[in-house]
Amino acid sequence: MQIEMKGIEKSFGTNKVLRGVDFDVHSGEVHALMGENGAGKSTLMNILTGLLKKDAGTIKVDNHDTTYASALDAEHHGISFIHQEMNNFAEMSVVDNMFLNKEIKTKLGLVDQKKMRKEARQYLVNLGSDIDVDSKMGDLTVGQQQMVEIAKSLMINAKIIIMDEPTAALTENETAILFKTIRELRSNSVGFIYISHRMEELWQICDRVTVMRDGLSVNTYQTKDVAENQIVHDMVGRDIGDYYPGRHPHLGEVALKAEHLSGKKFHDISFEVHEGEILGFSGLMGAGRTETMRALFGIDKLSSGKIYVAGKETKLTSPSVSIKKGIGFLTEDRKNEGLITEQSLEDNIALPSIDTFRKHGIIDKKAEDKFADMLIKRLTVKANNAQVTAGSLSGGNQQKVVLAKWVGSGSKILILDEPTRGVDVGAKKEIYELMNQLTDRHVAIIMISSDLPEVLSMSDRIEVLYEGKQMGVINAQGATQEQVMKLATGGK
Amino acid sequence: MMNIKNFSKRLMKIATAASVLLLAGGILAGCGSTGLSNSSGSSSKVEKKAPKDLKIGVSISTLTNPAFVNLKNVISDYAKKHGSKVIIDDANNDTSKQNNDVEDLITQKVDALIINPCDSSAISTVVKKANDAKIPVICVDRSADSGKVVSTVASDNIAGGKKAANWLIEKLGENAKIAEIQGIPGASATRERGKGFDSIGDKKLNIVTKQTAQFDRAKALTVTENILQAHSDIKGIFAQNDEEAVGAARAVKAANKKITIIGFDGTLASLNLIQKGQITATVGQQWNKIGQESVQKVYDHYQNKKVPKNDKVAVKIITKNNVASFKKQVYNK
Amino acid sequence: MDKAKTTKKKFDFTKYMALVALIILVIIITVLNPQFIAPNNLLNLLRQASVNALIAFGMTFVILTSGIDLSVGSILAFTGAISASLILGGTPAWLAALIGLAIGALLGALNGVFITWGKVTPFIATLATMTIWRGATYVFTGGNPITGGKMNTSFFFQFVGQGYLFGIPFPVIITLIAFIICYVLLHKTAFGRKTFALGGNEKAAFVAGVKTKKLLIIIYTISGLFAALAGFILTSRLGSAQPDAGMSYEMDAIASTVIGGASLMGGKGRMAGTLVGALLIASLSNGMNLLGINSFYQQIVKGVVILIAVMIDSQTQKNRE
Repeated sequence: MQIEMKGIEKSFGTNKVLRGVDFDVHSGEVHALMGENGAGKSTLMNILTGLLKKDAGTIKVDNHDTTYASALDAEHHGISFIHQEMNNFAEMSVVDNMFLNKEIKTKLGLVDQKKMRKEARQYLVNLGSDIDVDSKMGDLTVGQQQMVEIAKSLMINAKIIIMDEPTAALTENETAILFKTIRELRSNSVGFIYISHRMEELWQICDRVTVMRDGLSVNTYQTKDVAENQIVHDMVGRDIGDYYPGRHPHLGEVALKAEHLSGKKFHDISFEVHEGEILGFSGLMGAGRTETMRALFGIDKLSSGKIYVAGKETKLTSPSVSIKKGIGFLTEDRKNEGLITEQSLEDNIALPSIDTFRKHGIIDKKAEDKFADMLIKRLTVKANNAQVTAGSLSGGNQQKVVLAKWVGSGSKILILDEPTRGVDVGAKKEIYELMNQLTDRHVAIIMISSDLPEVLSMSDRIEVLYEGKQMGVINAQGATQEQVMKLATGGK
Repeated sequence: MMNIKNFSKRLMKIATAASVLLLAGGILAGCGSTGLSNSSGSSSKVEKKAPKDLKIGVSISTLTNPAFVNLKNVISDYAKKHGSKVIIDDANNDTSKQNNDVEDLITQKVDALIINPCDSSAISTVVKKANDAKIPVICVDRSADSGKVVSTVASDNIAGGKKAANWLIEKLGENAKIAEIQGIPGASATRERGKGFDSIGDKKLNIVTKQTAQFDRAKALTVTENILQAHSDIKGIFAQNDEEAVGAARAVKAANKKITIIGFDGTLASLNLIQKGQITATVGQQWNKIGQESVQKVYDHYQNKKVPKNDKVAVKIITKNNVASFKKQVYNK
Repeated sequence: MDKAKTTKKKFDFTKYMALVALIILVIIITVLNPQFIAPNNLLNLLRQASVNALIAFGMTFVILTSGIDLSVGSILAFTGAISASLILGGTPAWLAALIGLAIGALLGALNGVFITWGKVTPFIATLATMTIWRGATYVFTGGNPITGGKMNTSFFFQFVGQGYLFGIPFPVIITLIAFIICYVLLHKTAFGRKTFALGGNEKAAFVAGVKTKKLLIIIYTISGLFAALAGFILTSRLGSAQPDAGMSYEMDAIASTVIGGASLMGGKGRMAGTLVGALLIASLSNGMNLLGINSFYQQIVKGVVILIAVMIDSQTQKNRE
């Protein structure tokens, strides 16, 4: 199968999202689609699979002009789209999910559970997976759910599979399994369109790459012929030099010290972070980093351990207590825990410090306006004004709003959980610079990150966790990815 | 951008102005009086008016009970026949809605109010308001605890209760085991019918249980089912209204029993079941008379005739023997 | 192009939806029956709106947190009965009123406790307490209305529901004061901001230091308190505490709040909108009474108005996205 898209254009109202995109893919290759958020990747894929109608341009499938009426139509013709947020039913079994709307029926018109189970198992075994088809979809790991999605694609005999950031929530191990599967299917002449933000994956799994920027396809390369710098340059439209601004820390007193913290999914964790320092927390997904910090901040329960803030033992029983002690927490889940997306930037930014704006019980609106405007400027949030809703901003700017909220509440200790996840390359750099500015002002930062280069470049020291246990602390200066990885996978 | 902003600001201003106007109207209307009543004074002399010049406001307690639907029809037919204008409101059995309804009728400057109160005590405040507005009030079926009422037209519920008890004794003999299904607790009909019935029944009948079914057919069905479980040997049932009697009859029929049932009201549904033999009897209220009398009281009032304070319309026991003629008299069917 | 987008957001037409509807309704009814706009009728209308408006004010806080309070009608009946019987028993009316309010607040707080510490969803928790307090009212009153005696002679008691101050019905004045307090509380204080935050995203509010449990308990307390206030006024208006008072009042209160632009998903709503919603509902029944429309049809019209209001609201919402 060969798909060729030429000069695709698409507008939403006056907003021209695609301005002439060329893209092609054929069976037996993995073609990566790269670009910042908002570059138009999803729109392009939605047009291909019939979810949206193109305004101009041609789509040729095996040299015939083709337009699919719906996603279902596209599926019937062998094109399957595995979305980043998988549309499955957590309470239903794996087999029921796989055969939803395609149930095999007995002569009586009843569902033939036996036959479905047998077929489902066969598809999964072919993929080298041993998932129990009777378990609830919601009980599977994200990686296993992805396997089920791929199995579903094979069930409909897909010739081209589109995957949107498939590894975003996978562990190292699961990623390896996924890649193995993709390679096998590729040799069985299945084609892939692979959307990713992870640069290194280009050279691990992809044959070609097309870079998109601002609704245009910039370039298409054979991955073996292109360097990372070139891709980054194409994505942002300029050389952004080194991502990482580098660290020049001036350490002060111990800002926060934790002794023998234990709780659900972590055990006996001790560490300290100094004023002006960035302490990295590395480890695999599920190593207990996030859980440790949530319990420390008072969101979840701490079963034992002591916490010292500025040398004094402190009980942090709830976020409100922690905030009073000068701690801020940028959570991993920005949409659900970091922002109230339907409310204004100002409301979001002022929330943790709202009590300080009271004047005889009434909020001093002018002071609040000033406060929000100042922080928006200082953290270079790109927004027209402080009254737009937080949800209308891009990922990177949303992250800056969350940061602004904590900077504004006067945090002396900042916990950043995956601060650059889902953030554009350009905004990433700005966030790193902000972190440097904060530590220059003696703020202590604890940074959880799954991005190894980020941990190595932006931390002063790195704590590594593995399965809820503390494996050791590494001085970031001169440390290598291999060193961290070894500890993170349980090696000594 | 500025324009739209300004526009939205202006809209806000208009809104504020509108609310201020609304308020200002209120202040003007009040004439600066402070106290319990908006106006006062009364006169005894009534200006004569013919029925065709009268606008009568009617507030009915509920139109989900067939008896009151019939009452409404009788009132409006009788008034229209005489050329009066009628405005009818239904209170949905909600005391506070009824007060609102009557207030609105007063606003419409009706010449007279015929009120069928949901509750005797709660209606009093608006009756007083009608008094202040010098609008004569006739109460139907239930009385008003206070406030001046020209006349109260109602069936004699206490006498009806007594009649039901005596009829059961005559039919089943003294000390027969019977069950009493009561109406909405506290409603005047419940109190009066119960009072009349119990004054004789408590002594001369063996009332094994008294339970409420809220004047509701479906609830009476369940209540009766339960009673038949607990007291399978009862010989009779007194239901304080006909809706309950119909429910009880269903339960008795389903249980395949022979039990004497007497209801109260004389609604079409129950009269039909009397003809079929599923309900034995009912205490028939002469709704046609009640309705016509209440309107006639208004006419008499505006002719400066003397109107009796209380008009107790007689009730009678309806059985298979006289059901056909009663149906003809009350419903013209 | 970006600019146009943000301007649209500033001018939020949904904010004025209910007000426009009210104005149109007032014009229509007035044209059909000019009596409607007569000062006396407007005062009637305001007084008729007051009980529902008071409950709806409390309900607005609750709905903003994506909760619901079904127990308001029962709390209204229960506290009304208690105040009435206290007055009959010789307690000064003002003290009886205060005790009623305190009990209302307490029952509201109890709802909050079940919801936060008991982890029962608001719908279920208040459905249960709705049934409990209705039953308690029947037990307490024996099913009979409480009336007469000192309730007829106490000036304070009579004045609250039936009195006039400067020619304005006293319940209307109470409602106006309550509105101003609620407006300031919701839109001008940290408490209000936290309420919005909690409704917009409970987890994010908690992480940002909002004491969500405490806040929820306070909000349900407010709802209970306003139900009790409405209960005392209604008891005074009727001169009698009815055991079945306030039945299904929660529905009118929810409707007022929703017509006023609040979202049952939480985080969205305005006190002024709720006031307009309550006025709209009162104008509907008052106006249709004046026009002599059968009460059965009135219910249909009311339902249709609620549907249209919410549909327009969600449609404009969609367009914004």
